[in-house]
Amino acid sequence: MSGLVSDEVAEDYKNNLEDLTTNDRFQISNLTVIAKENTEHAMAISRVLENHIRTTPPPQKLPALYVVDSIVKNVGTPYTLFLGRNMYQTFMNAYSLVDQQTRRKLDEMLRTWKEPVPGSLDTRPVFSPDITRNIENALIKARTAILENQKVRQPDIRGRSSATPTRWNPTPPHGTRPNHPVAGNGAFNTPTPPYGHRPDIQLESLNRDLEALIGSARNDFANSPFNPTSQQRLKALLDLQRILQSQQLPPDQLKTVRDQLATYAVPQAPAQENAAPVPAHPIPVATPPTLPASQPLQHMLNPDILAGLLKATAGNQQPTPPPQFAPGSFNISQMPTASTPQPAENPLIVALRARGLLPSASAPPSLASGTPPTGGSLPFMIPGQAQSTPPPATPQISMSSSSTVPMSTASMKIPRITLVVSLYEAKSNKCGTCGRRFPTTDEGREKKARHLDWHFKTNQRMADAAKRAQTRSWYVDERDWIKSREPSDDQNPDDTEATAEGSAGADGGSKQGPPKPWIRAPNEATLRNTPCPICQEKFESTWSEDVQDWIWQDAAKVGNRVYHASCYAEVTKDGPAPRASTPQARTGTPDSVLGKRKAEGESPGQKVRVKTEQ
Amino acid sequence: MSLPGLELTQPSEERQLAVAPPSQIALNPGSEWRFEVAFGHLVKVKLLSGTAELFGTELAQLQTYTFHGTKGAIYTWHGCELEVSAGETVATTTDGVTPTAGHGAGGCQSEYTAEETPMVEYSNVHFALETMREEAQSVGKDGPRVLLLGPENAGKTSLAKILTAYATKVGRQPLVVNLDPTEGMLSVPGTLTAAAFRTMLDIEEGWGSSPMSGPSPVPVKLPLVYSYPMPNPLDAEGAIYRPIVSRLALSVTGRMAEDEDAREAGIIVDTPGILSSGKPGSLELINHIVTEFAITTILVIGSERLYSAMVKQYDDQPSSSATAAVFDERISVVKLSKSGGCVDRDVAFHKATRESQIRSYFFGNPIATTGTSALSLSSSSAVTLSPHAQQLDFAALPIYSYTVVSADDEDEDEYDPSQLDSFLPGGGSEDYTPHEPDNGTYLPSMGDTNQTPQSNVPLKKILPPAPSTLANTLLAITNAPTTASPSEVRDASIMGFLYVADVDADKGKIRVLAPVGGRVPPRAIIWSKRLPGEVVGLVG
Repeated sequence: MSGLVSDEVAEDYKNNLEDLTTNDRFQISNLTVIAKENTEHAMAISRVLENHIRTTPPPQKLPALYVVDSIVKNVGTPYTLFLGRNMYQTFMNAYSLVDQQTRRKLDEMLRTWKEPVPGSLDTRPVFSPDITRNIENALIKARTAILENQKVRQPDIRGRSSATPTRWNPTPPHGTRPNHPVAGNGAFNTPTPPYGHRPDIQLESLNRDLEALIGSARNDFANSPFNPTSQQRLKALLDLQRILQSQQLPPDQLKTVRDQLATYAVPQAPAQENAAPVPAHPIPVATPPTLPASQPLQHMLNPDILAGLLKATAGNQQPTPPPQFAPGSFNISQMPTASTPQPAENPLIVALRARGLLPSASAPPSLASGTPPTGGSLPFMIPGQAQSTPPPATPQISMSSSSTVPMSTASMKIPRITLVVSLYEAKSNKCGTCGRRFPTTDEGREKKARHLDWHFKTNQRMADAAKRAQTRSWYVDERDWIKSREPSDDQNPDDTEATAEGSAGADGGSKQGPPKPWIRAPNEATLRNTPCPICQEKFESTWSEDVQDWIWQDAAKVGNRVYHASCYAEVTKDGPAPRASTPQARTGTPDSVLGKRKAEGESPGQKVRVKTEQ
Repeated sequence: MSLPGLELTQPSEERQLAVAPPSQIALNPGSEWRFEVAFGHLVKVKLLSGTAELFGTELAQLQTYTFHGTKGAIYTWHGCELEVSAGETVATTTDGVTPTAGHGAGGCQSEYTAEETPMVEYSNVHFALETMREEAQSVGKDGPRVLLLGPENAGKTSLAKILTAYATKVGRQPLVVNLDPTEGMLSVPGTLTAAAFRTMLDIEEGWGSSPMSGPSPVPVKLPLVYSYPMPNPLDAEGAIYRPIVSRLALSVTGRMAEDEDAREAGIIVDTPGILSSGKPGSLELINHIVTEFAITTILVIGSERLYSAMVKQYDDQPSSSATAAVFDERISVVKLSKSGGCVDRDVAFHKATRESQIRSYFFGNPIATTGTSALSLSSSSAVTLSPHAQQLDFAALPIYSYTVVSADDEDEDEYDPSQLDSFLPGGGSEDYTPHEPDNGTYLPSMGDTNQTPQSNVPLKKILPPAPSTLANTLLAITNAPTTASPSEVRDASIMGFLYVADVDADKGKIRVLAPVGGRVPPRAIIWSKRLPGEVVGLVG
């Protein structure tokens, strides 16, 4: 086994993958062997594979998918699990971008995934049926949709699509042609109708989309009737439909609804249609919005919705497309308004917002932020596609970062899977020992390093401590508890000590206080009269000019009790390092094994007490 | 020593069960694996792939977590695969408990996968709280103060753990307040506690551990502990519970005022189920808690009736915070579903849990835990504590006992008035009537002479000879001086516990186990007579 860190393995693997441009059996089996030998880095390798499939040009997607196929069949777990998690996006994304011939090969491959590995004793299919079924359903629905469309509509674009191999052929013209944005441009601009016709068409198309979504939500609901997510979604959509049918909405609001509806579906539709016009436009006005939190989106993935959307958007590919397919007006003039909610809010918008379908008004998506896509880590944004980032995707981002979740019973029922991201992917750097997560920022890495130090030190200390008797400490009293601060295991322990004990030092130690350990004399009568538990002698209070307070010389507070430091040292001769709190302490003063001890060992309350008597 | 009623003492043929081979459990996204492990049996769980969390606290991959005597659920947002195997039986169970393997995977008593969980709701609660915390941060007000209400076994404490775990996960430091005396958060039962949580919760140990002299693989938490040695807060019409809650609230508010992190993150208050039972006086106690902690958010789990009562009384009312008017802070009442995984914990399970908590207070956790086993070569990653046994002169100990008869379980509990009377100056002639409420304030008619002016606290000093019932119970050492009045003793926070191993009434000595060596601090002591009650066989 290699002792390399995942990152290195991943980097290596990535380079190897990049060399794979054709269906080369030797290379593929070589990559499989590497994967097999590095199962401990399975997660990293799987991620590399997914990223590679996403980013590589369409002709090279098939070989890469064959690597996946080979790995899951020859190595199996844990790859099946890691790769299975995002297989839907990976597969659908690739499928949508490759030519018809390749698709057939992908279909074949998918078929083998539903069966057990040939020659294996394991009777389970290669991938869990859930995964393959989802993909299959989506494909079937997409095909059905396109067939229907071909029957009903005039297939004017169809002929052209066969010319460009990267385009959807019998399946809906997908429009996401990252490698041929210019070619796509022409294709889309031609059939654009004058803008004026729009409102009715728009409403019609909106209703159509809505119906499609409702249909798929129904399916979804039928599949898992107890899933609150699908229940909620279906209900929201039905409500929306009712509102749409019962009210006349101004076009701009329709537009908003339309966009939001697309938003709603976007996570389910990685390569959806309505994104197309954006790259299609020659002037990249609204180009690369980022998807900083796009990884999360994969969790919203729902194949049925995708299918519904594919179906719906297939319809949009008609000579009279809905307004967002009018590149000129849409990109330049509509975009800003489309992404910001209308100032005068319609009840529908309010309703949507209340249901959590719309982001709050204060969170306009940063559409044209122009930050470059972060490429690799994004699950379904391939570089070319990045410029076609669907406007609807941005509200998702705003949801995950700055959304407000109202505290109400109704609000609790709305699934906010994207927010779960803030618990997981937002901090993707996980401690292997305890599962604590850290952000992948520099600060996060630093914290993690300190956290790992903490683990290491704790383990060392535990090994040491096993040799000595350990005891449960007394609980702290109210005052100490109020003054205590939770130590964190990701702070520099020296820092903690320094800040926590610094006050003691500032009070006295640094000003050349008494040479021996000392504490301020307590002002509580009982405490003052409590003798040293070891020699049973009482403490003597002396006035210290340096400290400007009454102190007890040669005293140390251990737990809740005060000992003569010398007595204590005598008793605990074999104790470890001296306390950091009393810089002048002789060896053998009580051990501050952990930062935590300071909370009870060093009563901060005492530092602020003012001696007024004696 | 066997525990009656617990399945630990089943015939030995159970023990012959072959150790189940490790089984793998694949969980779909959004589902959870629910499991019950008997006391004395060990079940090891390892996360093979994916992500998984136990009550909000995430499991590390490929680390072995050991569970015993627990009922829990491992949830996954993204899907995961778990490996469950039976651990070796606990060799350290010195009291003769016969470990029993169940028939489930890894010897769980019961285990199954559930697709339907209220985790979406629970996570939304967290997100809503996060929203409130962000707001608190930006405008400088206090973070949300959450009150969890619901009947017994509705999952209140589990939700409290989830909310706490999520809060720590996103870097918050909430103050968690446990007002359920039977729970024993970070301490033993019979206590009301508060603690700030910044670090991870302990997967295996529930809330985690309080500080020890040595290191701990999971960062320890520093609890503030008060003694309430009775299971029912409604005892004595809440006359004992209420002032302790006030005192606890005062400390927590004090901490909030000084600790910026705690102020922003707010408070999570867990309550005993009995408050949600609709018993007389329970609504008043809820009101007391709502007022004292200036609650902003009331979460009601699994009780429609209570929810409607709470909505009527609190929803959209201004919170009792001093700054409520400034920020227009209003209480919201939210209803949450109860998880289908909630199981009833019977008397025997509670008893075994109590015993296990007391054992780990004195002796630590003898079972190897995570984190260390993977890194250190020594297998002794367990934290073993060494309490100190010593003899004490009973007469010198200022031990107080609550003289309250619980309305609902007086026959079940071993409260013995005759036993107690013999220690009172008045002998058996005292006409003690614990239930004589006068306009809500408790005024026991003590026709007695040795009562201090503040004698309305039903707390009496136990005078020699030492009652034999003291044996096998806990004594809570308060921070109050020996000369404190009963009300001061009642309101004092707790330093720790002594376990009475033996009572020698003739010589007037008791043999006790103290967590820390050295002299027992000269403080007032409260006898935890009824909760946690008698624990037999803690010492040889």
